[in-house]
Amino acid sequence: MRAIVIGGLVIMCFFISYLLPIKDAVSQDAKSCLRCHGIKTLQKKSESGESISLFIDGTKFEKSVHGALDCSSCHPNITLKNHPKPRKIGSKNDYIKEFSPNCLNCHPKDALMKPAVHGTIVKKGDIYCSQCHGNHYIGSMKEWKNKVSFSEYCMSCHQFDISKTLPSKEKKNLRVNEQEIKKSVHGKFQCLVCHDDFSKVKHPVYNFKDKKQYTNEMNKICTKCHTDKELQKNPAHYALTKTASCIECHGYHGVKAAKVAKSLPENQYCLSCHSRAISMKFKNGETLSVQVRESDILNSAHKKLKCTECHKEFSPTQHPIRNFESLADYRAKSKDICNNCHQDAVKKYELSIHSAALKKGNQQSPDCLKCHDYHKVAFISKDKMASSELCIKCHSDSGKAFKESVHQMAIKQGKQNAPTCSSCHNSHDVLPTNLAKLGDSCIKCHKDAKISHNKWLWNPPVRLTSFVDVHFNSASCASCHTKAEKAVFLTLMERSKNKPITDEAVAKALNVDIKTLKSKIDSNGDGKIQEQELWKFMAAMKEKSKANLSGRIDVLNPNDAHKIEPKGNSIKDCSYCHNPGAPFKGQLEINKEGAKPVKFVIDNKSLNSAYAIPNIKDFYVLGLTKIKVLDILFFLALAGGIAVPIIHITLRILTAPIRRKRREGK
Amino acid sequence: MKKVYLHPLPVRIWHWINAIGFIILILTGAQIRFVDSMGLMSFETAVDIHSWLGFILLANYFIWLLYYLLSGKLFKIYIPPFWKPIEFIKNSIRQAKYYGYGIMIGDKNPHHPTPESKFNPMQQISYLMIMVLLIPLQILTGLILWDPHLFSPLGSLIGGIQIATLVHTGLWIFFSAFIIVHFYLATLGHTPMAHIKAMFTGYEEEHEEH
Repeated sequence: MRAIVIGGLVIMCFFISYLLPIKDAVSQDAKSCLRCHGIKTLQKKSESGESISLFIDGTKFEKSVHGALDCSSCHPNITLKNHPKPRKIGSKNDYIKEFSPNCLNCHPKDALMKPAVHGTIVKKGDIYCSQCHGNHYIGSMKEWKNKVSFSEYCMSCHQFDISKTLPSKEKKNLRVNEQEIKKSVHGKFQCLVCHDDFSKVKHPVYNFKDKKQYTNEMNKICTKCHTDKELQKNPAHYALTKTASCIECHGYHGVKAAKVAKSLPENQYCLSCHSRAISMKFKNGETLSVQVRESDILNSAHKKLKCTECHKEFSPTQHPIRNFESLADYRAKSKDICNNCHQDAVKKYELSIHSAALKKGNQQSPDCLKCHDYHKVAFISKDKMASSELCIKCHSDSGKAFKESVHQMAIKQGKQNAPTCSSCHNSHDVLPTNLAKLGDSCIKCHKDAKISHNKWLWNPPVRLTSFVDVHFNSASCASCHTKAEKAVFLTLMERSKNKPITDEAVAKALNVDIKTLKSKIDSNGDGKIQEQELWKFMAAMKEKSKANLSGRIDVLNPNDAHKIEPKGNSIKDCSYCHNPGAPFKGQLEINKEGAKPVKFVIDNKSLNSAYAIPNIKDFYVLGLTKIKVLDILFFLALAGGIAVPIIHITLRILTAPIRRKRREGK
Repeated sequence: MKKVYLHPLPVRIWHWINAIGFIILILTGAQIRFVDSMGLMSFETAVDIHSWLGFILLANYFIWLLYYLLSGKLFKIYIPPFWKPIEFIKNSIRQAKYYGYGIMIGDKNPHHPTPESKFNPMQQISYLMIMVLLIPLQILTGLILWDPHLFSPLGSLIGGIQIATLVHTGLWIFFSAFIIVHFYLATLGHTPMAHIKAMFTGYEEEHEEH
C-alpha cells in the first residue's frame, strides 16, 4: 500500500513538474532533476527524525559555481531512470559524511592541502566540505573572501569544534564562541584587531609546545593595547600580571570587564580574582598559588570571617603590593596574621623547637600554615586518632611506637581522657624532649601519680612526696613504664643558668667548625666517647663557660618513650637502676637550636670516674654512678684499720719480756 | 684501786646507741653501694634500715650535744687548751709516744682521766673533730642523699649531690677504719675490758699511785 502511495506521488510530481518554470542555464540533467526537487515542499524524514528538505532552488543553484554542472557530477549514481527507491538516511550528518567524498572527485586532495590550515582540517576529516562551503549554492571563494567580514571569515572555520594537539599531548580547542565575543568588552572587535598576524590570505601556524606557552604568548596580544604603563595605574593588578596570564582571569574571547563591583560582599569581591588560578612570585623566583577556594573557607573554622579580618591591610580599595624574599620569608611573616587573634598560640609557638627549626632553615618544620593550612583551617577534631595523624605525618616512627602503647589502646576504647600527641608534647610550645619536662605532662592526666608512687617510693622515717620528685626529675616516666632499652643521658648545660649549651656555642668555645665538632670530641674517631675524651672535652669547655653535665635516665631511643606499658608491667625494683651492674647505655647530648640534640655514645665508665664529681655535679644514682676510686679507698681503710691493731698487738707481744723485766725491777 | 665516774648516763646511752648505729650504718651503706656483690639483705631493706638509723643517730647526736651544752662540760672536755698550744703539742707527742713506744716497755699512761679532763690530748682533738665537724657533716650530707629534692638548697650550697656523696662516702670510709681502731684502743685499759666496762658502768678503774 505504502509503495503504491509513494509511486503515485512520484508520478504526480513528474506531471506537476512540467508546469514549473525550469531555468535554461542549467544542464538538461539538472533540469530533469529539478522537475521534482524544485518543489519547495519536497522533504523527507531521516531515521533520527530530522526533517530533511529535498528542495533545490534552481535560481540560486544556477548562480552557484556549480550551476552549469549536471547533478550527476556530484551525485554520480543518481539519474532519473536510476533514481534510488526511497533511500534510508540515518541523519543529516550521516548523509553529509557519505556525500562529502564526492567533492574530492573534482577537488583533488593535493590541491585542498595547499593552504596549510585548510589542509589540516581536510586531513583530520572531522569537518566536511559542505559544513563550511554549503552544498548546492556554493559561491566563488574569491568573491566570498572579498565580500565577507574578517570575523565572518575566521568564524567560517572557528565556529566548529576544531582542535589542535600540542607536542605536550594537550589538546587545544580552537573553537570560538561568537556569541561570547559579542557579549564581551571586545564585542565590536574584528578578530584581527587582536590576531593581527592573521588575514584572509595569511594564517600562520603556531608551534607551541604546551598550553602554558600558548597562554603566555597569547598574553602578548593583550599587552599591545593594555600597555605596562596603563596597567601600572593599578599596582595590585600590575603585580598580578607578572605572575598570572591575562587569560586566566579575563578569559580568551569572552573578555570580562576588568572592574569588579565594589558593592559585592567583601569575600565575593576578593574571590572574584582569588578564585582563579593566580599566583604570586617571590624575589628568589619561587611562586605561591594565591588561589582561594570558597568551599575551603566555608568548610573551615573561619567560615564566618571576612577576608580582611585576617588580611587586615587589604580592602576593596586597598591592595598593597608586598615583596617577599622567598616562600620561607612569606611563611615566617604569615604567622603575624594568625597573631591578630591567636596571640597566645603564636607566643607559645615562638618558644617551640618547630619555630627554631624553621628559623634555622628547616623548611620541613611546621608553622601555623603547615598544620592548619591557609584557608582550610579545621575545627579542633574530637577524633583523637585524626588529631594525632597531623603529627604522625612527619613523626612517623613515633606514631608507629605509639600504636603499641596502652594510650593507643585507650583511644581505641574511646576513653575520653586518652592522650593524643599534644596532650604530652603540647600543641604549640613543643620543646626538645630533654627540656620539655614531659613528666609534668604525664602528671596532668595521672594526677595521683605522686601519691601512688609515694606508697612505695619513699625513705623512712617520713613519707615525703619530694622523694618522688627526685625520681620524677631524674628519670623519665618511660624509663620505668616501658620495656625499652635504657640509657643515662648527660646533657651539656650551663649549670648556673640551667640552660643547655648548643652545638653552635660549643663549636665557638672550642674554636672549631661545627661540622668538625664530632671529630673534635671523639678524637680517636671510634664512634664512642671514652672517659678520657669526655673529660678532655669538659675541661676545654670549662675554660670558656660554666659547663656541666646534667644527667637523667631515659629510654635510649626516644620513639620508644611512646610505648607505655600497662601499669602492671612497670619497673618497681629500686635496684634496677641503683646498681653498678644496671644495663644502661651512655649518651652525651649537646642540644641543637631547632633540631633534636646531637647525640654521642659514651663509655659508661665515665659515670664512675672521679672526674664525674666536678663535671656531673647534680646527678647521682647510688651504685650506678658510684665513684670507683672511693671503693678502693674503703677497702684500703678497712685493711689499715685492721692492720693497726694487729701490728700494735704483735709489737706488744714481742715487747712483753721487756715489760715483765721492768715490772720485776730487773 | 680508785674509781672515777667518767661517763654519766646520758653519755653512755648516747655512746652505745651511736656505736651500734655506726656499725649498722656502715654495713647497710656497704650493702647499698655494693648491691651487685653483697647479699646481706635486699637493697630496699638496706635503704630502709640506713634511713631509720640515720635519723636515730641524728636524734642521738642531739642527746650528746644537749647534755654537753647544758652541763657546760663541752668546753672543758672537748676543747683543747688552745691558749697553751706548746704544752698541748708536747702532751700530744707524749701521748703518741706512749701508744707507739711507752706502752710496749711498760710506761704508765701519761694521761689520768678525770671527769673534767676525760680525754688525753689525742682523744681530745680527734673527738672534737668527729663530734663537731665530721658527724654533723655526715648527718647533713646524709640528709641531702635521703631526699635530694627537699634538701636541694643544702645540696646547692655544698656544690651538688656529687660533692655531698663524696663527703658522705669519704666519711663512711673514715668511720669504717676509725671504728676498728677505736675498738682496739678501747682494749688498752689496765685490762682489755676495763674501758669497755667503764662505758657500761660509768666508772673507770684506775690504779692508785704508790
